[in-house]
Amino acid sequence: MIGGQLPKLYLKLFEWFCKAELFEELQGDLEEAFEENIKLYGVRKARNIYRLEVLKMIRLSVVGFGQFHSKLNHFSMFRNYLKTSMRSLMKNPLSSFINIFGLSMAIGVCVFTYGFARWTFDTDQFHEQKDRIYLVTSVYDQEDGFPASGITPRPLAKVLAADISAIKNTCRIDYGRVILKHGDEVFHENIHLVDPEYLEFFTFPLKWGSPAALSNHNSIILSERMSEKYFGDENPVGETVIMMFNDQQRKTFEVAGVAQEFPTSRSFHFNFLINYDNIKLVAPDENSNDWGQSVAATLVEIDQPNELENTKKSMTKYLSLRNEKRDDLLISGFELEPLKTLHQKAHNIRSCFAFGSNSDEKAVLFLSIISVFIMALACFNYINIAIISASKRLKEIGIRKTIGASRRLVAVQFLIENLFVTCFALMIGLVLANYLFIPWFEGMFSFSMGFNIASVQLWSYLLGILLFTGISSGIYPALYISKFQVVGIFKGTIRFGRDNALTRILLGFQLILASLLIASGVMFTLNSSYMHNRSWGYEPLSLIYTRLSDPSAYQLLATLMSQNPEVKAVSGASGHLGRSHDDLIVDMPGRKLEVREMGVGAEYLAVTGLQLKTGRWFKAHHQEDKQAIIVNSSFVDSFSLNDPIGAVAKIDSVGYRVIGVVNDFHSYSFEENIEPTIFRLEDPERFNFMAIQVNPEKKLETYEALEKHWASLFPDVPFQGGYQEDTWGDYFREISIHGRFWRAVAVIAILLAGLGLYGLVSLNVAGRTKEFSVRKILGEDYWRMGIRIAKHYARLFGLALCLGGGISYYFVDTIFTISYAYHIPMNGWGVVASVFTLLVVLVLVVFVQLSMLKKRSVVKGLRTE
Amino acid sequence: MKQIIFHYVWSSNKKEIDMKGSNLGEFQEIVLLSILILDDEAYGLKIQQELSTRLKRKMSRGALHTALTRLEEKGFISSHTGGATAERGGRRKRFYTLTNAGKESLKQARELREEMWSLVPKLSLS
Repeated sequence: MIGGQLPKLYLKLFEWFCKAELFEELQGDLEEAFEENIKLYGVRKARNIYRLEVLKMIRLSVVGFGQFHSKLNHFSMFRNYLKTSMRSLMKNPLSSFINIFGLSMAIGVCVFTYGFARWTFDTDQFHEQKDRIYLVTSVYDQEDGFPASGITPRPLAKVLAADISAIKNTCRIDYGRVILKHGDEVFHENIHLVDPEYLEFFTFPLKWGSPAALSNHNSIILSERMSEKYFGDENPVGETVIMMFNDQQRKTFEVAGVAQEFPTSRSFHFNFLINYDNIKLVAPDENSNDWGQSVAATLVEIDQPNELENTKKSMTKYLSLRNEKRDDLLISGFELEPLKTLHQKAHNIRSCFAFGSNSDEKAVLFLSIISVFIMALACFNYINIAIISASKRLKEIGIRKTIGASRRLVAVQFLIENLFVTCFALMIGLVLANYLFIPWFEGMFSFSMGFNIASVQLWSYLLGILLFTGISSGIYPALYISKFQVVGIFKGTIRFGRDNALTRILLGFQLILASLLIASGVMFTLNSSYMHNRSWGYEPLSLIYTRLSDPSAYQLLATLMSQNPEVKAVSGASGHLGRSHDDLIVDMPGRKLEVREMGVGAEYLAVTGLQLKTGRWFKAHHQEDKQAIIVNSSFVDSFSLNDPIGAVAKIDSVGYRVIGVVNDFHSYSFEENIEPTIFRLEDPERFNFMAIQVNPEKKLETYEALEKHWASLFPDVPFQGGYQEDTWGDYFREISIHGRFWRAVAVIAILLAGLGLYGLVSLNVAGRTKEFSVRKILGEDYWRMGIRIAKHYARLFGLALCLGGGISYYFVDTIFTISYAYHIPMNGWGVVASVFTLLVVLVLVVFVQLSMLKKRSVVKGLRTE
Repeated sequence: MKQIIFHYVWSSNKKEIDMKGSNLGEFQEIVLLSILILDDEAYGLKIQQELSTRLKRKMSRGALHTALTRLEEKGFISSHTGGATAERGGRRKRFYTLTNAGKESLKQARELREEMWSLVPKLSLS
């Protein structure tokens, strides 16, 4: 067919703009010419000519202002649709409320999820140089653990800049812990030692001062928060602060700049920046040419991405320099991690200078699942209610069809009506998200996700949601309703007010979704209380600790504290449970592994309350025990030792004998897996921490006494102690937030499912008004009627709850496995609770219907329809 | 209100027709002539082709339509739709014929030309 070869788009275009009365002859001529042109020039050229001809038709005499008239008709038709929509919304306040409430909840959750996802995926994207900056990582030969580390040899940056032309610039980062003093303000602070390139590499604009000042060894740049902490709102540029690195070293720095507030979505920032050359003050034995030493981060700038592979290759020549010096931990290669995606990879890089956004990405996944569920709940509500309440609109549809509306037009009408409702819900949802969900969530986790309503991306997302929700919830009802035959409507042979198979399936789905979310809510709540009671593997409640500042501190403080009657025992260690530890490589026959290490006093393990599984504790002043270690169970498992006592572990080629095994314990939080750990005896001069076992009832007093002793001994050094139970910081708060969050989701799910069920049941009862009126007259008691209503849903409920229960059990189990390293053992309480809740909802709904049925006048009931 | 607008539009159209009078543009003259040449076959596409070959330049159907509309407004041509055909997607053609006024103005134009030609001294052309 030749007609089929016409360019369709242009044909449509022409038909659209051409005056109706001219179209036939003009299109006829164009088509005839087209046929001739095909013979003359071939199809391609003919099509081009046709296109050109159509475009040249755009002239006053052809373009159809005449059709404007019919457009006006369309306009009034749509206005009529809107009017009818408004009226039917007003007429059925219950259904409208359920629909709008449900949809706005769902949209609110979607917007919130969007905001959170935006925040997560925008991490670090504000750095203008993000495509050019790479972090150098070292790859180890180790069997397990992290594949790479952010720690690199100290001289690397220098030789890279000198040797490799592709590398334009380098920047080193190291950390220091110092005491900072300005006037009366004295605090322990973490500082960054960086090369002057730092502020070129990263886009941290300054509020005051100039970034160039970083090349000055005596300058310091503050973050906005730190500037406020020390100087209030004043511009501090030019002020001085004194930095104490240790007892001997102190230096005065001049404030040269203050950074602007950092963007909320970042994986790293700084509090204080000073020039890297001050490193000698932090690490006196620093030698920038020693390949055995390392630096916390080496960053490089590479402009050409295609140079990447070559650069990596040429970097291998430094491996031998490094490995000669450190044969205990061999590096097998260097990698370059782009800054742009660093936040996604950071959780796989040990000691990375940036935090990973991995857990946030998991959260985005969960939130998306939740939003889809809630959206499904709301849409199903809409579909069900629309189908069942179609009965009320039957006559309208009949008349429209009689007057000449086609099925398509009726479908369009209902779709538009739905879009209208969705629009309405969208507004409310946006308000809900902006003023309720997001502030609530931000408040819980005390962060800001920088949600901004005025963003093009957000609005295009909203438009997408509007269309998706509007169409996916509206399309079936629209098609279903528009299918009705006029004759059937007026004859009254169309059965209405009944639910069909689809409504039942949808209701079933809703019940399953609701039971999933309810079960999650219950299980997360149970989990948070379980975690609170879970043993840490030692006794945090009777333990207080303090950080020590110098070698003599332990002896002085221990003497004073031992005199306190509430103190049961005192000991010290180089690290402390929940605070810090060292990592070192242990070599045992058959396996070489990195483990955690702590040098402890003889009583430390007993003081903290660790439990001995086999073997013995250290003995004080026992020369033999200097070569002994105590390990935890996980160590025994990792090295698969059958008989751990007496086994010899090599550390730095010195052999240590295992004399005891303690039960596993959680040193930081339940968030991380238990790592193999060893304890060695350490001299008190090298203790960095003191642990004090106290009478739990007098903990507060003892703690105050400790503080007082500290202040009298070391007036210059801020006290850095704490209660052991606080060492996990916000962990328990966070766990309980998970419970709160899922409870909120469960409440929304119950609300939506409940409302949907209520709407369905009430419409069903309304459709059977006559039946119930007759029953009432004949004296059926209300209980039987209630059972009659409930019976309609009994089988569906049974099936859905069985399915839902099973699915939710595995759903919660999966979520737990993904999100927690340790969690409550799975049990059926969540499932039981969700089944129970939904049954209660059903009973409540039936009960409300019954009481309404009681009040309704029988006469009116019989007169309906 | 509607009536007033209608009256205004209608009467203004009329005025335009009166004003333009019987003057023929050169292009219009050629269009009229081709309609005469084509006789029974004078519908859009054929006129367009005739003009294109005579004038030796491509001319779009849209441009022709404008010219035809103008001529019809002036009352020089009239049109009627033909029967349905199997070609051109079954669309009907619109045939054009000259009205008496059209023929008259053609004649006038020709007379004017001939008169003027006769006054041209023979020498100045060679």
